Amino acid sequence: MTSVSGSALDLIAVAAGIVVVLLVAAFGGVVIYRMASNDIDLSRLISEPNGDASTSRFQFLIFTFVIAISFFLIVAATHNFPGVPQGVLVLLGISGSSYLVSKGIQFSDDAGVEDRPPMVMITPQTACVGPKTPPIQFKAEVIRQTNQDVTWSLTSSLAKPGSIDPTTGLYTPPPAADGADAPTSGVVNVKATSKADGSLSDNAVLTLIYG
Amino acid sequence: MEMATWVIGGFFVALGGVIVTQLLNGSINTQYLLYGMRRDGTRYFSPERVQLIAVTLWLALNYLLTVLNNPHAQSLPEVNDQTLAVLGGSQLLYLGGKAFSRFGPVVS
Repeated sequence: MTSVSGSALDLIAVAAGIVVVLLVAAFGGVVIYRMASNDIDLSRLISEPNGDASTSRFQFLIFTFVIAISFFLIVAATHNFPGVPQGVLVLLGISGSSYLVSKGIQFSDDAGVEDRPPMVMITPQTACVGPKTPPIQFKAEVIRQTNQDVTWSLTSSLAKPGSIDPTTGLYTPPPAADGADAPTSGVVNVKATSKADGSLSDNAVLTLIYG
Repeated sequence: MEMATWVIGGFFVALGGVIVTQLLNGSINTQYLLYGMRRDGTRYFSPERVQLIAVTLWLALNYLLTVLNNPHAQSLPEVNDQTLAVLGGSQLLYLGGKAFSRFGPVVS
């Protein structure tokens, strides 16, 4: 009777263990999936409050990761919790203290804390275009935002400002022509607008020199 | 135990993969990682940050290789005094540079 109830308890313990592992696996899977799909935003994982990347956060992240992976590898190989030597604690202490002191320096000054919003930055910012100018490839970086997609557009008072691919940012100057179809000189604004936030945009200026 | 090992191992691999991928494709912001900011708000290329990252990556890789060479150890590998001194020196250099740029005179 005792052995029967003992084996039943073992069975329940194994079943409970499997259920717990499956729950942890499901939870971990959801977290990873949401990180990968940007539902959990990691864009500022190693950033300062002002939006700049932080060296101290980066080194703290690396050391934490390495010690955690090392711990896991030893547990997986030996099925025992390993001892943690004093040197490892000192290493993490140095890394963590440096991080804290770094934050202290950072927070001692408004410029280090003041948050800067996301912004769009176009390159090149200016260009001159003539009848023989080849197409110009514009690039836009959406700083401090995960979604880097932008929409390209042109604004100008000119009748023939050329054209720009709204997706790739490739600008094609107006073809040279004679008479009434001839493009005229003037200024064309190239605008890149963030797809994630329509209020974010940047402009580049093209100077058309024709005729 | 095997099942739990695979679950946790898989989690670490996936987490590391997501973070490394996002670091490389720019989703995780790394702008100005190697730049310091002066008191007047201007930025400068910062050698002290470069050395800190170099020392950190070197120590981290060394430590990981030590564990991989002997995963059946009864404890995590010890970090010797010389290594701790190098790490401490590197961190002091970084913090000193950062403090100087924030509180010292503005040098263009």
